[in-house]
Amino acid sequence: MKFQEELKESIRKALPELDVVIGWCGSFDPLHATPHFIYGEEDIEKLEISPLNVHNLATYLPGMRGKKVGVVVKGCDSRSVVELLQEKLISRDDITIFGFPCTGVIDQSKVKKAIGYVGNVQSCDMSDESLVVVVDDKPHSLKLSEVLAEKCKSCRYPDAIISDYFVGDRIAKKDPAEPNYKELEKFEKLAVSERFGYWLKELDRCIRCYACRSACPLCVCRDHCIAESRDPHWLSQENNVRDKLMFQVIHAYHMAGRCTECGECQRACPVDIPILMLKQKMNKEVLDIFNYEAGVNLKDTPPLLSFKMEEENITEKDW
Amino acid sequence: MKIGVFVCHCGSNIEATVDTATVAAAAREFPGVVFATDTMYTCSEPGQDEIVDAIKEHNLDGIVVASCSPRMHEQTFRRTVERAGLNKYLFEMANIREHVSWIGKDREANTNKAVDLVRMASEKLMNNQPLYPKKFTINKRVLIIGGGVAGIQAALDCADGGLEVVMVEKTSTIGGKMAKLDKTFPTVDCSSCILGPRMVDVAQHPNITLYAFSEIEEINGYVGNFEIKVKKKATYVDWDACTGCGICMEKCPSKKATDTFNEEIDFTKAINIPFAQAIPKKAKIDPEFCTMLKKGKCGVCAKVCPSGCIDYEMKDEFITEKVGAIVTATGFDLFDWTVYEEYGGGRYPDVITSLQYERMLSASGPTGGHIKRPSDGKEPKDVVFIQCVGSRDKSVGRPYCTGFCCMYTAKQAILTKDHLPGSQSYVFYMDIRAAGKLYDEFTRRAMEEYDTNYIRGRVSMIYPKGDKLLVRGADTLMGTQVEVDADLVVLAVGAEASKGASKLAEKLRISYDSYGFYMEGHPKLKPVETNTAGVYLAGACQGPKDIPSSVAQGSAAAAKVLGLFSKDQLESDPQVSTVDIKRCIGCGKCIQTCPFGAIKEIDFRGMIKANVIETICQGCGICTSTCPQGAVQLQHSTDNQILSEVNALCQF
Ligand SMILES: Cc1cc2nc3c(=O)[nH]c(=O)nc-3n(C[C@H](O)[C@H](O)[C@H](O)COP(=O)(O)OP(=O)(O)OC[C@H]3O[C@@H](n4cnc5c(N)ncnc54)[C@H](O)[C@@H]3O)c2cc1C
Ligand code: SF4
Ligand code: SF4
Ligand code: SF4
Ligand code: SF4
Repeated sequence: MKFQEELKESIRKALPELDVVIGWCGSFDPLHATPHFIYGEEDIEKLEISPLNVHNLATYLPGMRGKKVGVVVKGCDSRSVVELLQEKLISRDDITIFGFPCTGVIDQSKVKKAIGYVGNVQSCDMSDESLVVVVDDKPHSLKLSEVLAEKCKSCRYPDAIISDYFVGDRIAKKDPAEPNYKELEKFEKLAVSERFGYWLKELDRCIRCYACRSACPLCVCRDHCIAESRDPHWLSQENNVRDKLMFQVIHAYHMAGRCTECGECQRACPVDIPILMLKQKMNKEVLDIFNYEAGVNLKDTPPLLSFKMEEENITEKDW
Repeated sequence: MKIGVFVCHCGSNIEATVDTATVAAAAREFPGVVFATDTMYTCSEPGQDEIVDAIKEHNLDGIVVASCSPRMHEQTFRRTVERAGLNKYLFEMANIREHVSWIGKDREANTNKAVDLVRMASEKLMNNQPLYPKKFTINKRVLIIGGGVAGIQAALDCADGGLEVVMVEKTSTIGGKMAKLDKTFPTVDCSSCILGPRMVDVAQHPNITLYAFSEIEEINGYVGNFEIKVKKKATYVDWDACTGCGICMEKCPSKKATDTFNEEIDFTKAINIPFAQAIPKKAKIDPEFCTMLKKGKCGVCAKVCPSGCIDYEMKDEFITEKVGAIVTATGFDLFDWTVYEEYGGGRYPDVITSLQYERMLSASGPTGGHIKRPSDGKEPKDVVFIQCVGSRDKSVGRPYCTGFCCMYTAKQAILTKDHLPGSQSYVFYMDIRAAGKLYDEFTRRAMEEYDTNYIRGRVSMIYPKGDKLLVRGADTLMGTQVEVDADLVVLAVGAEASKGASKLAEKLRISYDSYGFYMEGHPKLKPVETNTAGVYLAGACQGPKDIPSSVAQGSAAAAKVLGLFSKDQLESDPQVSTVDIKRCIGCGKCIQTCPFGAIKEIDFRGMIKANVIETICQGCGICTSTCPQGAVQLQHSTDNQILSEVNALCQF
């Protein structure tokens, strides 16, 4: 990427004041990137900015409270940072934010679907439009637009919303006013029994690995998640779809008006359950009732984290 | 746990549509239940004794009563189980009357539902814990906010009952609206003659401290131990030295100050005492009209004041008062009637409000009790009264009835005839609401003895016609249009909550309706209580009220305070939230959402944790539904207790 060197330069400048900077670098094969913890000069060199940088690095921040941390963010990731700041889960003084204009990331599930077996990846060449992956000496040419993550297609915040260092030229926001809930709206039109049936079928696959929870930057309860507690005892440890569904419903409720729709939960799911839709549903309702979107404005208080005697759009006392 | 279940017939109230014996038989099969029976009247003495005996005989350690609403008898049965030696929270009630027998006729369906409700109650009971209230001492002082007739009554009753009273009044005198009235219905006795002595009593009572021209800045604490920050607004006059002689007011050259006491029918001076009987009778400067404070020139009042009280440098002062209870008596204000374009929207000087008319009728008012048209000072002959201006009118967002306008309009019509025997009054009304002792008789007198012309209908238009006002309206009884050439139009403007009522409510942490009127604890059974312990209501702040009702509420609130203070210690309700420190991650979400400010951040071995202050918590449960990991739990309604009920009912 054009501004990769510029970004390294900024990190070099900021690093002496910081305990660590979190970015991305290459991983076990050329088709994957991995989170990268930068402590010194040699780590800076390994930094890579590419459409493979799917991970939302804001997820690390709440666990590193008290340390001086630098974090490289895509536009969507920056919303998580904003939300964490809004909720006072991290302190602005402790973090240094590096932003860049993001043109989208790849959805590995789509690549897998297009290529089939992706065992031994020998190389992966990316241009602005396409991607050539060589697997077992066989080259596969894919259009970038075909393997782009869904969320990136309708991304409204490609530039970091908040940053201390911003490298590269900003991309004008496409349509910041309207979140895209078209797929969800289609789903909402189905009968209750169909929707319920859909979730029972999808969630039956869930192995309760809790990868969705661990990947979520805003799931900050971690060891205290009620999914595994006896007091309160919301869920049993039995292997049944009832508890799996209940867990996702709880997750969605806890995320209502907080979730920034980074999609990490769904990306992390090893069995591809479309759980982002549940969170989008809650956000759509929150948008409708409170006219609020999570992680966009540092000064806002998430509507469900405040108490008002009278809500503007909820009329309890109709005359 | 060994549970006993008692299914009540409630005479035939329940038994008629619920087979209580079957419910009891079904209950015997529930986990934990070792004893179940149906009884005729569980709340009666033999009924309660049966519970006590069963606890002893079967070694029960938990009781379910399936009967009426817990609002009715939860306390009763809690005392019963306590009498038998159990903790009173090891008791659950299933409402099979209001929720079952009274709302359905199908005996079989009702019986099944009753069985479900009893199962939920016994499942919950198995998760119950004994709870113990804590005791704390109380500060037996009371704060009264607002010095209208309701506040005055509450203050005097409390003070006579031996309590120390602190009264905070926003304006520079107490008396409220009643001090502005000329005579009062239905007896037409002089308002200041009956109110004046009460005001003097407030000033002279050794137990009452009065802060006039003051406001509530901040309220902290909880029932028994509130801490109040009072803002004494700068008056620029040393009230300790001011004798109320009024020389300053006489000599002040700035004559165009807004006269709020006289409802702006005249002007007052920049330094003023609102009226001769004011309590306290002290002068204050309105800075926006004082040339000394605005431009640094003048200083006349300082020169003439014989006691040397004037202090142009005076600043607002803050005082902290500690009290154990609060009575809110902030009254009402008039609706802004100028939204009615058809009445001229405020452009015609001879269209005035009822309260302005009171000032005009009053011998101590600016006209000395002479009725004069504001436009030319002439005596009016034809006076039109229009009722329900900003009352019972959805189009202006005021659908409720103010309640006392019918009565004072009749009073004002009578007084008009007394003042001007040659005059003719017309009253446009929607309905006459004169429900009260001697009230209907009073309005009839206005019609029959005083010859007031009552026209049932709304006024559609007022416009100037020469030096008169043409009032056009409908007479819905005659089915015709009426036009009256009026010299003066008096609008019976409806009441709304006093300005700033909602802000004060938030400080008090009490609820208010969409019009700003404060919400009582229960519309029938707790008319002067609020949902915040230790905060009571009196007078029109709870909803429009005439003087007799306001006074009655003042006394009722005082009785509540005296009752509260009859003990030296209060018991806190253990049905409050507590934080499980192991589970709390210190995210602070509960702190942000608690409407009562009951949760504070604490440091626990270097970690941030939440902590509920038991005495402030009202048990609303908002924190528990906010905390993602269920670290904060409302005692007696814990997640596990609720879940056990849900699981008992919903099989998936
Ligand atoms: C034109 C008219 C004529 C009426 N005639 C009659 C009649 O003849 N007979 C009758 O029975 N009723 C009559 N009423 C009704 C009567 O005025 C009320 O019943 C009575 O005033 C209610 O008393 P209150 O103490 O509740 O309120 P108010 O009289 O309104 O007193 C409230 C007091 O609280 C103070 N206050 C407000 N907010 C604050 C605050 N935030 N902090 C501190 N102090 C505050 C106000 O300054 C005021 O002194 C009439 C009303 C009107 C409008
Ligand atoms: S719930 Fe999923 S989409 Fe929402 S913030 Fe968490 S990981 Fe991102
Ligand atoms: S990541 Fe997927 S499989 Fe794992 S718990 Fe979440 S939904 Fe279930
Ligand atoms: S919401 Fe829960 S975890 Fe967060 S501070 Fe409150 S009790 Fe602790
Ligand atoms: S239950 Fe929770 S939110 Fe409600 S008053 Fe108590 S501490 Fe506050």
